[in-house]
Parts: sequence; structure tokens; C-alpha cells
Amino acid sequence: MPPPGGFESVKYKRNLPFRGPSGIVALGAVTAVCAYGFYRVGKGNLEKRELQREKVWSRIHLVPLLLAEGDRDAYRRQQAALAREKEIMKDVKGWEAGKSVYNNGRYRSADSIVVL
Amino acid sequence: MTIYHAGDDSQARPYIDPTPLPDSIPKVQEIGTSSAPLKSAAFFIGAYCKDYNEDFMLCKQDAKGDPGACLKEGRKVTRCATDLINKMRENCLETFDKHWQCLELHNQEYYACRKDERALNKCMFEKLGLTKTIPGSPKGQTPIHDVAKPIYTTVQR
Repeated sequence: MPPPGGFESVKYKRNLPFRGPSGIVALGAVTAVCAYGFYRVGKGNLEKRELQREKVWSRIHLVPLLLAEGDRDAYRRQQAALAREKEIMKDVKGWEAGKSVYNNGRYRSADSIVVL
Repeated sequence: MTIYHAGDDSQARPYIDPTPLPDSIPKVQEIGTSSAPLKSAAFFIGAYCKDYNEDFMLCKQDAKGDPGACLKEGRKVTRCATDLINKMRENCLETFDKHWQCLELHNQEYYACRKDERALNKCMFEKLGLTKTIPGSPKGQTPIHDVAKPIYTTVQR
């Protein structure tokens, strides 16, 4: 005979507690984060290129100034070396001071310098 | 290597160049500015002294390395740059000093000193009418020195 009030209902439902977001959600989130990250990297690469361009042009703008200063010093050294050579070789007949050892008119910087 | 010493007390006296430039070459005061102020002023030098700079570089191209060939153009370049630095100091001394001191502290990277740079650019445009333009930057985009929120910044803003 059934107990008073009837039998207890049969527990047939599975007991599966919620265990966090599903795999699809996690995968989607990771994909979204990565996509945003790569977007920023791409933007950053473009920006880096522009920063490099800025740096290079700042140097290009300074080249004539620095080169002019260096040229004056190089010319001064060249003239001093010439005067020195003239003084040393004044007794040697037929010596041409400052003459290139090559038979072409091309400019050649000094092989050695005297630090003064 | 021999080092020239004119007597024992040469350190006490001011240095006298034993081999100065010949007198036929007009004298010009060298600019004497160190690297950070030069870097701060670079784009303005490029804008202000464009003609002299291009003249000098074309002359150098023709000279094929001879340092004596372009002395006249070189003097013009140096005088122009000195002139610009003086004008900058007269008109925008405060912002100029701030910017180059910032560059000095930040490894001479422009991106670390945008705040001071913008103040300087503004002052230079208002007082001298010079703008910073970077040749070859993509058309239709904000130039890199005017980007409001750049990706590359210093750790501390």
C-alpha cells in the first residue's frame, strides 16, 4: 500500500551544477582579445614607422650643418699638412707638396693625420 | 701619437690653434650647440634654412668629397642655423629650454616629449611662422607629432 500522501516523486533529473561559461564562449573571448591585440600591434607598427621617419628626418635636417663644420676643420687640417710638408721638403728639388700619388684628379682624403 | 703642448703651462692658458684656417677664408662662429637643442630645433632648421642647406648639399654632391670646395655654402648654412637658434632663444626661450631638457632626460626620443614639443611648435608658429612638417608622411593622416593618443608613450605619462 502506498504511504499516506502518495510516493515521493522519482528523481530522474541529472544533477549538473553550472561549471562556468561554455567552451564556445571562452574561445570567442580569446579570439576577441587576440583580435584586438593584433589590431593594436598593427596600429603600433604603423606608428613606429612614422616615429622612425620623424627621427630620420630630424637627422637629415642637421646633416648640412654638421657637415659644414666638419668640412671647415678638415680643410684646416689639409692646409696645415700642406704647409708642414712644404716646410719639411723645401730642400728637395722638384718636390711638389700635396701632389697625389695617383695620376687622376680625384680627391683623396689624407691617409694619416697629425693630431694638433 | 704626439700631442702638441706649447710649453708646460699650456693648460692654464686658453687654447690657441697652432694651425688656424688661412686668412683668405672668412671667419665664422661655429654653432656650438649640443645635441639635444639641435634635435629640438632640427625641423625648424630644416624649414628655415632649406635653401642654404640644399645649396650646400648639391655643392657637396658635385665636389665629390673635397672639403675645401663648399666652404662658402657651408658658412651660409652655419650662419643661418645660428640665426635661427638666436631667434628661437629670443622668442620661445622658455618652451625651447623645456623641450630640449626633456629630450636630454628621455634619451632624445621625440615621442617622450610631445607635451613640451607641442608648446614649442605652437610658440614657433605664432612668433616665427615656422611649422614642423615631416616629409613623406602618409597623406590624410594626423602627423605623428600631433596624434592625441599614441600607442608608443613613456610608462609615466
